[in-house]
Amino acid sequence: MKLLSIQNISKQYTANDAPAVNGVSFECERGEIVALIGGSGSGKTTLLRIIAGLETPDTGEVVLDEKPLNSPSVFVPPEKRDCGLVFQDYALFPNKTVQQNITFGKGAADDPKQVKRLIELAGIGGLEQRFPHEISGGQQQRVALVRALATRPTLLLLDEPLSHLDPELRDSVRTELLKLFRETDTTVLFVSHDIEDAMAMADRMVVMREGAAEQIGTPGEVYDRPVSQHVARLFGKTNFIPAGLLPNTPHSIPSENGTGRVVPVRPHQWRVSDRSPAFSGTVQSVTNRGSHREVTLATEHLALTIHLTEQIVINTGDALTVSCALPD
Amino acid sequence: MKSFLKSFFALGLLAGVSVSAAELNVYSHRHYDSDAILFKQFTKETGIKINVVKASADQLIQRLISEGKNSPADVLLTVDAGRLHRAKAAGVLQPVKSRALAKNVPAPMRDPEGHWFGMTVRSRVIVYAKDRVKPSDLSTYEALAKPEWKGRVVARSSSNIYNQSLLASIIAANGKDKALAWAKAVRKNMARSPRGSDRDQARAVAAGLADVAIMNTYYLGILANSAVAADREVAAKVGVFFPNQDGRGAHINVSGGGVTASAKNKKEAIRFLEFLTSAKSQEAFGNVNHEYPVIIKNNKSELLKSWGSFKADDVNLSVLGAKNAEAVKLFDLAGWE
Amino acid sequence: MAAYLINIAQHRLRHLKQEIRFKLNAWTISALILGLILFLPMAEVLWHLTSPAENWEHLRDTVLGRYLKGSVILVLGTAVLSVLLGVSTAWLVACCEFPGRKIFEWALILPLAIPTYIAAYAYFDLLDQLTPVLIWVRLNISPEAMTLLSDTMVYPVTIVVLAAVLYPYVYLVARAAFARQSSQCIEAARTLGHGPQSTFWRVALPLARPAIVGGVALVIMETLNDYGAVEHFNVPTFTTGIFRTWLSMGDLQGALRLAACLMALILFLLVLEKWLRFGARFHKSSQADRPFQRYTLGQAKAGLAILCCLLPLVIGFVLPLSRLAYWASFNAGKVLDASFLKLTLNSIGVATAAGLATVVLALFLAYTARYFGSRTVGATNRLAILGYAVPGAVIAMGILLIAGQVTRTTGWVLTGSLAVLVLAYVIRFLAVAWQPIDSGMERNCAQLNNAARSLGANAARSLFQINVPLLRNALVAAGLFVFVDTMKELPLTLILRPFDFETLSTRTFDLAKQAQIPESSVPALCIILVSLLPVIWLNRQMRTPEK
Repeated sequence: MKLLSIQNISKQYTANDAPAVNGVSFECERGEIVALIGGSGSGKTTLLRIIAGLETPDTGEVVLDEKPLNSPSVFVPPEKRDCGLVFQDYALFPNKTVQQNITFGKGAADDPKQVKRLIELAGIGGLEQRFPHEISGGQQQRVALVRALATRPTLLLLDEPLSHLDPELRDSVRTELLKLFRETDTTVLFVSHDIEDAMAMADRMVVMREGAAEQIGTPGEVYDRPVSQHVARLFGKTNFIPAGLLPNTPHSIPSENGTGRVVPVRPHQWRVSDRSPAFSGTVQSVTNRGSHREVTLATEHLALTIHLTEQIVINTGDALTVSCALPD
Repeated sequence: MKSFLKSFFALGLLAGVSVSAAELNVYSHRHYDSDAILFKQFTKETGIKINVVKASADQLIQRLISEGKNSPADVLLTVDAGRLHRAKAAGVLQPVKSRALAKNVPAPMRDPEGHWFGMTVRSRVIVYAKDRVKPSDLSTYEALAKPEWKGRVVARSSSNIYNQSLLASIIAANGKDKALAWAKAVRKNMARSPRGSDRDQARAVAAGLADVAIMNTYYLGILANSAVAADREVAAKVGVFFPNQDGRGAHINVSGGGVTASAKNKKEAIRFLEFLTSAKSQEAFGNVNHEYPVIIKNNKSELLKSWGSFKADDVNLSVLGAKNAEAVKLFDLAGWE
Repeated sequence: MAAYLINIAQHRLRHLKQEIRFKLNAWTISALILGLILFLPMAEVLWHLTSPAENWEHLRDTVLGRYLKGSVILVLGTAVLSVLLGVSTAWLVACCEFPGRKIFEWALILPLAIPTYIAAYAYFDLLDQLTPVLIWVRLNISPEAMTLLSDTMVYPVTIVVLAAVLYPYVYLVARAAFARQSSQCIEAARTLGHGPQSTFWRVALPLARPAIVGGVALVIMETLNDYGAVEHFNVPTFTTGIFRTWLSMGDLQGALRLAACLMALILFLLVLEKWLRFGARFHKSSQADRPFQRYTLGQAKAGLAILCCLLPLVIGFVLPLSRLAYWASFNAGKVLDASFLKLTLNSIGVATAAGLATVVLALFLAYTARYFGSRTVGATNRLAILGYAVPGAVIAMGILLIAGQVTRTTGWVLTGSLAVLVLAYVIRFLAVAWQPIDSGMERNCAQLNNAARSLGANAARSLFQINVPLLRNALVAAGLFVFVDTMKELPLTLILRPFDFETLSTRTFDLAKQAQIPESSVPALCIILVSLLPVIWLNRQMRTPEK
């Protein structure tokens, strides 16, 4: 039995509007870190709130640790669910100190040693007597995290855990979070709109689009074998080459404009090479991106985006021939 | 400790009993100083404490209806026979028999079955500007409908019960159609749309906005005895005319009261009404509030005497009550606001 | 279209099923029952909208039109004048710099402390002051001209008196809108080359419109609620019509049906207000408020601005207050005695009880709806707060009817007990406490409640540990508003009070009714003074930007 099982969850906020969540099913293993990825309005946050018990789904079932939380006849209120939830804006109680915030949760005050350990793990020692408005945003986030973990939840839910952080901070926080989750052996489900967070932290990811789970898999699977152009584009600019032009490729997806199938090719998967099948054209622009140069190449039928790492001289107007190096 | 509690409880019980034994609960529409003085006097004489709720009579009647037989009220006091009649019709009063009451209150001034008894009498008269109107120009209520009074009459709103009873008496005397024609014509003769109190009508006449006003006698008494010099001037500028002296007499009305159907203290309630209609109390009503005693000829007030004696319309006051609703409708139809 | 509606119906039904299945607990059930009980008197009145009444046809054919006309003229006139006074002064105070601006900023709110009926008493002889003019017209033009003049004067006089004390409702919201919401847009307009006039008409006013509509809605409700002033000036309105039909014709059914018409009219206005605001709710920019560069006025314009601010302040506060104080100075000895102390204590006592009870109930109702996310409780809450839109006398009628039914079935006498009086105040003023508490909860506590729930805290713990401490200011404010409104309240108190129970407001009314208006100034003054403190406090709250 999986730790968390979501079956056919749907939720419609207003009649005559598209449902916010539409028939989503997936499962989580114990100890796994799962990311819910999608743009705004994809239904990812609604799904998280449903699992936390803050929304009631119209249909479907949620089972946590063999205990049904939602079903047509069951609704366990949030305070009785064994889920910790960390809010995007942290939702720290402004009238309570850091210590009081952390020990507010059910059972959190029972094991002071555990709380102390969490505080140290999170690196917020010494802030216990401060009020939330007296500490920095990053510290607030960690307090919120420790507050949720202090109740020793079976499942930890995070809403956009990194969205408020500076880009420089993000990398280190990701690592810290991962370390914390691994050390406390927590099962985590987190929502993010940023694919990098998901790639870096998640064991598995669920890509949401228009309320439905479009693809479920490991980051590698989703990256290498996106099921749609939409999923492929989550990872940045992607070239979609008509499958006819790239015979013998292992993975092709239906084209969005309904004309057959296409093969997603990432910009960095191009090599300057004339190995067949090769694409020749004129360079439209060259932009230096530091680690690589981004080249747009106009071929007879396509406009390709290419990330070149090779140290060769290329200027706008040059002729260039490339071929792609796809994984098997 | 136990005995202390016991005695404490017993004390509480006793207090509860004694409170209900020596109290009388009164719902009153009357808000005059004379009443407060008389209530105190009654308590002094009898030891019965009086609790009063003052509100508009019709609200009190409504409250009595909704409280039903559990109402705490023992006595309802109000002005105007129309309202007393309405209270009787609503079943919130009970008939009482008392020799003293029968003696104190003449038959036309009380309910034939004893549901209510008049307490004081007021007459609705024509007040005129002494410098512009001769008493000989005046004759009857009906005459005020004549075109010669165009733009010269003032009166208060028809929401006022005194006007309603006056029109009810005209319905009783002349019939519905003539009463409507009268109300229409008088409304047309008004110098301004009805507004303000009876006193304001006297003020308007004194100031020269109009020449005659329809108002109750005791309001003029209040003005004449006012602490404000301007009010006394108003009273000095106007005269009182009792209309219809050659016919049915001037319209009178009573204020009065009755014992409620739910009265828990019926004996005390009757005693209270007897007290209010006793000669001494009657004199107080005249002196303090300038109302006529319920036996008009017993009047002792010098001010009231100065207005002269008059013939009163002797229609049974219950009739006014019966025709009250019709009078209100006629006012609506006549456009008398 | 049909499919659209069916979708909505199905959606609602599904929600209802979910709520019944999952959200019924001790909290929600009590809140539902409580909300419905508080709505009961209004329901009882509305029920009579179509019930047969013996005099209905007569009323409809003779006076209904007059009441409607009177109410409409009064409402329109008061609303327009309030907007003129409120918006112009708000613009001057918020966006212009002139001598005395800071004083006007808080002083302009002061008329709020004067109930409409007391304002009417303070101006009781306003019409009489015009008597010499009338007499001149009568003698030199014609008696007909005088009649016409005298009859038309009633409306402007009443409108001026009402608007003079009600305009602060518009002033407060417009000032806040000008100062906060639109300050950035106004600055943008200035940098784009718009002068003060064109900025006002093209930017500030349209942006402040939703707020102003809300303020006007309050003015309209207060106007329709007023009984003392319209009775005093003899303006035929629905309220006077209700009393006339009830008290003069003895026709409770007819009065109830009139009251039901009035309620329907008010409900329509409320829907209209919501619709007028809808789509025009401009969100406050997230940027912090910065000091706002006001237009500095030249000497002539500054003089005009001072006059413009002085006018409503004088007619709405200075003049009535000084008249009352003048009368009180030589009547105080006559009126002030031991009984006066008692009725002051009575007033403060019931007002305190009403304030506390209302705040507790409003907190419970708002919290239950929000904490459990129950739309049903939200809906019953909105029914329960309708009492604020209904004239006090109408609520009193509803309560009397229900009390009568209770007495008939159980034998308990409810009328005349302090508990019922306080309950009546709660019904009348629930909205006054519920609105600030609910919006404060939405703003400050919604996410925190979710956090507390996800941390395993039950409803009571979230309430007392998170909501109550965080909403302390809102709760105190709510209690103060109800306290003041109860101090001023008249018709409910008159009809439902217990034996020998007099308050400052009933004494004021009694004395005024006996034409002892100078004497009535003493209790009236007490009401105003007590009301002033919370009004000043409220003003400070409105000025300090939210955190």
